[in-house]
Amino acid sequence: MTALKKLTLTEPELVLALQSKDPAILKTLYSMYSSALYGVISRIITHTELAEDVLQETFVKIWQSASHYDNTKGRLFTWMMNIARNLSIDKLRSKDFKNSLKNQDIENNVSFVDEQNKVSFNPDVMGVKQLVENLKPDLQSVLDLVYYKGFTHVEAAEELGLPLGTVKTRIRLAIIELRRSFN
Amino acid sequence: MIVENLKAYIESGVLELYVLGDLSPEETLQVEEMASRYPNVRDEIAAIELTIEQYAMQNVVEPSADVESRLFEKLGLKDDDISSIPTQSTITPGPKILQIDGSDSKVRTLRYALVACIALLAMSTAALFITYNKLGDAHEQIASLNLDKQKFAGVVSKLEFENKGLDNMAAMADSKEWATIQMAGQAYSPKSKMKVYWNKNDKSVLINYVAMDLPKADETHEYQLWALVNGKPVSLGVFGKTDSTSNEAIVKMQTINEAQAFAVTLEPAGGSVNPTMEKLTVMGGV
Repeated sequence: MTALKKLTLTEPELVLALQSKDPAILKTLYSMYSSALYGVISRIITHTELAEDVLQETFVKIWQSASHYDNTKGRLFTWMMNIARNLSIDKLRSKDFKNSLKNQDIENNVSFVDEQNKVSFNPDVMGVKQLVENLKPDLQSVLDLVYYKGFTHVEAAEELGLPLGTVKTRIRLAIIELRRSFN
Repeated sequence: MIVENLKAYIESGVLELYVLGDLSPEETLQVEEMASRYPNVRDEIAAIELTIEQYAMQNVVEPSADVESRLFEKLGLKDDDISSIPTQSTITPGPKILQIDGSDSKVRTLRYALVACIALLAMSTAALFITYNKLGDAHEQIASLNLDKQKFAGVVSKLEFENKGLDNMAAMADSKEWATIQMAGQAYSPKSKMKVYWNKNDKSVLINYVAMDLPKADETHEYQLWALVNGKPVSLGVFGKTDSTSNEAIVKMQTINEAQAFAVTLEPAGGSVNPTMEKLTVMGGV
């Protein structure tokens, strides 16, 4: 699986080591997944410092609640990503975040915005990225809100003025579109 | 659930929301219940998970490098101790146990070293104490040897002193130049005796500490030698205590041209003009 070429251990191995609290696994886990999780976090939270705080909190929580992970209910990455998403959304709604927005002055904003766009691409999959960007606009907008902005599907429905069922269907269609592009 | 309904359930988009963590706890339980019952649902969830995971892997953003070190610091894990598990390896208990063992044996080695250091310190202290005691003994021995040495030196110098006197006596007895006058004890000190040597040529007078046996004079008195010239005493000088260890055994007195007898009296220190006859110690005629 070229898409996961940073993966050096299989998931069952990772889970076993993580749940035995082997400190070495945390380093491995960090090197394998920190940039993917930061990709999720930093799109929801555009403030670098806060986003990095959330990344740190995410790994702390992964480390501390490893025993709660149940591999019969889903993949390790799904579990970790949901921790990252939930912490990001919590941060987005916290006082901390609102204060930090007030403190941004215009001059800082220029480099701040640049900083936010520092996305690193895997050259092997540039074609795929292209395809994702070519999603139909109505699918893209739903995916943007839910995946990148941390909206719930209910919030997305309100934002887009669409029925809940339609939003759910569009999320599904967008993911099917992605799935096709990967196969 | 009939196949039609199952298909509708999958296509409703609820499984996508499940994977994205966008369902209420009740809805989540419902999906998990469905997944455990229907392999189709389980497979669909797995496919969605994989897609989302792949999508995330296409959209990575590198965090700054210090996030990792801050993370390990926060968790109280030392970064140095942790080496990332090498690529392509499976997790075997081997390296893990080896690592822990390594630090354990290091601690054990240090503990042994500490015990050895303490033992060495105790031994050194004991050795130092013993050495100190021996040094004290040696000092005492040196002091007592010094005392012995002083005694010997005293004995030697006394022997040398006597030897000189005896040599001189022998030489004078051999020589015809010298007359030896024996003086015998008088009423004041009957047991005393003394010799005086008188040179016939230059008329010099010598006494020899070795050749006298007089009572010890006290601090304030000295013996005085007299010559009797035509019935009158003439002082020839005083001489010190008989046990004096002054360098010379032979003492030269004043010369006298003629004398019929010699005598010694005990006088106050410095001598007297006239002899104190009550303290006439020895006397002898020529």
